[in-house]
Amino acid sequence: MAAVFALARKDLRILIRTRSGIFFTFVWPILMAVFFGLIFGGSDSGSSRIRIAVADEDGTPASRDFIARLAKGGNLDLDLQSRAEAGNLVRTGKRTAAVIFPRGFGEANERLFYGDPPKVELLIDPSRKAETAMLQGFLLQEAAGNLQRLFNDRTASRNMVNKALNDVRQLPETDAEKAPLNRFLSELDQYVTTRPEPASGSSASSGWQPLAVDTRETRADRPGPRNSFEVTFPQGILWGILGCVMTFGIGIVTERTHGTMIRLQMSPLSRTHLLAGKALACFAGMIVIQVGLFALGWAFFGVRPTSWGLLVLAGLSTGIAFVGIMMLCSTLGKTEQAAAGAGWALMMPLSMLGGAMVPLFVMPGWMAAASNVSPFKWAILAMEGALWRGFSLQEMLLPCGILIAVGLVCFVAGTRTFRIE
Amino acid sequence: MLKLVGVRKSFGATVAVDGVSLEIKPGEIFGLLGPNGAGKTTTVHLAIGLLRPDAGTVHIEGLGAPDSPSVRARIGVAPQAVALYDLLSAEENLEFLGRVYGLGGRRLAERIAWSLDFVGLADRKRGLVRTFSGGMKRRLNLAAAVLHDPELILLDEPTVGVDPQSRNAIFENILELRRRGRTIVYTTHYMEEAERLCDRVGILDHGRMLALDTVPRLLAGLGGHPVLVIEQDGREERIETADPLAELNRRYPAGAVERFRLERSSLEQVFLNLTGKTLRD
Repeated sequence: MAAVFALARKDLRILIRTRSGIFFTFVWPILMAVFFGLIFGGSDSGSSRIRIAVADEDGTPASRDFIARLAKGGNLDLDLQSRAEAGNLVRTGKRTAAVIFPRGFGEANERLFYGDPPKVELLIDPSRKAETAMLQGFLLQEAAGNLQRLFNDRTASRNMVNKALNDVRQLPETDAEKAPLNRFLSELDQYVTTRPEPASGSSASSGWQPLAVDTRETRADRPGPRNSFEVTFPQGILWGILGCVMTFGIGIVTERTHGTMIRLQMSPLSRTHLLAGKALACFAGMIVIQVGLFALGWAFFGVRPTSWGLLVLAGLSTGIAFVGIMMLCSTLGKTEQAAAGAGWALMMPLSMLGGAMVPLFVMPGWMAAASNVSPFKWAILAMEGALWRGFSLQEMLLPCGILIAVGLVCFVAGTRTFRIE
Repeated sequence: MLKLVGVRKSFGATVAVDGVSLEIKPGEIFGLLGPNGAGKTTTVHLAIGLLRPDAGTVHIEGLGAPDSPSVRARIGVAPQAVALYDLLSAEENLEFLGRVYGLGGRRLAERIAWSLDFVGLADRKRGLVRTFSGGMKRRLNLAAAVLHDPELILLDEPTVGVDPQSRNAIFENILELRRRGRTIVYTTHYMEEAERLCDRVGILDHGRMLALDTVPRLLAGLGGHPVLVIEQDGREERIETADPLAELNRRYPAGAVERFRLERSSLEQVFLNLTGKTLRD
């Protein structure tokens, strides 16, 4: 057994001293997991506010108050600029849109039911229509909130109605709207004067609202990743394992071509010892990759397994599967170049099909069905089962069983075709 | 020590070793001499159990057939290819191989130190093998073969591609091993090496053992007579004779010869006489 450990230690030592092996086995997977995790949305603790420019040409308390409430809403990241600079920022793609508050906004804001409404100008980037629609919604929401506050504040609403009555009385008698407006505003004045005050605090939320929206956090109840890193870290681990498979597979071919395999064969080592040493080194490398990446994900990227026990089961099954695949890859060519070419040609399609690039749950139906032939799919499914799919032990048996079976079949096939020279 | 009886090995239609029989005595250096493709390496692989003979037997005295791990542990081999790990240091290579041969602890450390010192690489023990010259790699290859202090050592073309300084160092190492009572099988296609080092030599060609004896007996029996070369009046005359001095006195009784030299027969000549071709053909 000491000889098997010596073989494994020697192979790991050589792996550590092989720059390309280290990069593709340990560095590249981390880069992939973190990079794609950030691209696909990162963790839910990050900001997702829309960045816009704002130009306040009106400069009245009403416009300043409106802008302040927009900023306070938490959905927008505001950058106060002149009209020209705001337009430039949108044109150069540095801001999604620009909102201009033109002169007259504050005056129009004090009118109700007559005259021109308060107006804002919206400069948009046509390539970002979804965010623009959201921005329009935020502006209308704030305008409705403004109306709500006016109605819930007796003094402000009486002042507004009285101003409107004075304006209506200035209209000529021939104006068809004068009489009905005068009647409506007088009755409105009577209503706001005599209606009871809202409950203590007079807050807008406790009075009349155009629409009450009850928002609830439902994320904890649905089966899905808590953040994109819970999807990209299993993918990154599979990339590392792929690097490990290729490095060790080609390493066995190198032992043959450099004559060291002959020396080992001449030693007291049996063929079983020899293969066991190779398998142990590769398995240890894969476990190090998994432990390292999950530790990194846990510490910095919010990756939280639902079951540590099932995650260990997934990791061990994955290791067994890919050790077998490594043995098979080592028999695909007589030279390093031939083995590497054949190995990558086999492994790349399997990895792409198996979800190491495109997440399994976004694959179209036919592709998801085809992915069943790939061991990468079952490895990712097993890891996701322990991370966020909430698999029971019984549900884990299918992916883990398939992985172990694949590993054993490939290992036997690989060792039977294994040649010393 | 090592006995091969009627050993035959074929690879497809090619007969690599054809009925070879030999017996190597304890404490001797036995040379297997032959051109490339003669069957020397295949014979070594048969001797250590790496290959199974199609016919015949291989037996190591007191141990049995060499295909069991316990027997192989008593044999040291320096393969023809420098079989070392480039990304490990000299010391790490030996540490790994020592553990493969069952060494450990203080015994392993002692044997590593002795082996590196033996081949003159103690000061380079922490250097990665990929930084070594061809000669240094060959010497480390030899250190790996003697690391576990084997009784029987097989050296397969140990001086191929080696500079003269390293070659001499390797010769000294091999002679030292004989002084320590080790039995050595030495394959080579360099006749000078066989003449200088080996107690007995077997000459192989096309897998067949053409001759096997001590070097003096091979030269006497198969090398022909020495050649007397006489230079006189700008001409060179070559005379093959059993008694060069008598021949010289007979031709030039007054001693009026300008210059002469004597060319002794060599293993090259033995091989030429046996096969009709030179070793380097």
